[in-house]
Amino acid sequence: MDLILTDCPLSLLPAGSDLRLVNVAEQAIAPCVGCFSCWIKTPGRCVIRDDAPSIYPDIARCNRLLVVSHLFLGCYDLPMKRLMERSLPNQQAFIRLHHGESHHVQRAVKPKELTVVAYGAQDKEEQAVFDRWLARNALNTLAEHYTIHFADSQAQAEALAGKVVQTWAN
Amino acid sequence: MGKLMIINGSPRAPKSNSKQYIQAFLSAWSGSYEQYSVLQRQHTACLEQLRECSDLLLVFPLYTDGLPSGLMEFLKAMLEQPTAPLTVHVIINCGFREPHQNDVAIDMIRLFCKRGGHKLGSVLRMGCGEAFPTTPFMGMARRKIQKLARSIQKGRSVQLSITMPLTKGLFLRAANRYWLSRGAQFGNSQTQMATMDIEGP
Repeated sequence: MDLILTDCPLSLLPAGSDLRLVNVAEQAIAPCVGCFSCWIKTPGRCVIRDDAPSIYPDIARCNRLLVVSHLFLGCYDLPMKRLMERSLPNQQAFIRLHHGESHHVQRAVKPKELTVVAYGAQDKEEQAVFDRWLARNALNTLAEHYTIHFADSQAQAEALAGKVVQTWAN
Repeated sequence: MGKLMIINGSPRAPKSNSKQYIQAFLSAWSGSYEQYSVLQRQHTACLEQLRECSDLLLVFPLYTDGLPSGLMEFLKAMLEQPTAPLTVHVIINCGFREPHQNDVAIDMIRLFCKRGGHKLGSVLRMGCGEAFPTTPFMGMARRKIQKLARSIQKGRSVQLSITMPLTKGLFLRAANRYWLSRGAQFGNSQTQMATMDIEGP
């Protein structure tokens, strides 16, 4: 399946039979409380039963993931960042060596092709920080093949997202 | 220097390792200070107190390779209600062995300083940050944190790192043993904790 996570409305996207679109800004997603229950108490399952548990399993199982997000301090802004934090059940507590560094073992997470349309960066420095952040985060989410498109505005982000989905359809 | 504001940016502040690292910091700190946890969610009142401060110390864990969202929310509030220029110091810890896994999060704080007209001061990057307080290595961590405190007190900017003196193999074994013991507290075996299922089969 393909998954689109966005923090702004995307209205012009072509519909796909195996495509799920989630506007995270419209979901009730509380911040992670750092209880580690998803590792030690209820492995693979978050104890906070809001909208996040209906989304993070799809982040794990999708083949292609498109993220459309505003940036803040070189990272996803709060709605998307909260969802990424709540996706901790996709990993195990256990640590392995990956590219010579310690990282968590993944559960049933498919290696995926990730495309990010990032908007709201204030300058090149913020874009560079985001680039470095995504490179690290990709190691922890099995999304090591990723592409970033920086958009100057939300409207441009929407247009770029449409093009990405168009290429998926072709 | 003037007063120091210490911010606990951990999502589990009352039971956090960050709280223990703050206590270690205060054991070597003789200046005036205030403490605030982002979980208190009284950001406006904290921003008022920041007007009397010259320095800000952010103590937090690495979260999804970046800043915890609760701390991001606080920093956003600071940028929306600008304060006088501060010197911002950082104690960041990650559960991984390598202190450099914290570097991008420090870049984010550097960006925050630039946006808010603040200056990045001293930084302590901690690897094995999840485990230090439960091991005999906490003494090492405490001494490093105290060194940071003394440097800030003297107005000197330092860049420090610490991790446990373990090989990669020993670290993996120790970390996995630690997590197994945490799971056992809830009756979970290694097999149960290592389930590949997410939200059930």
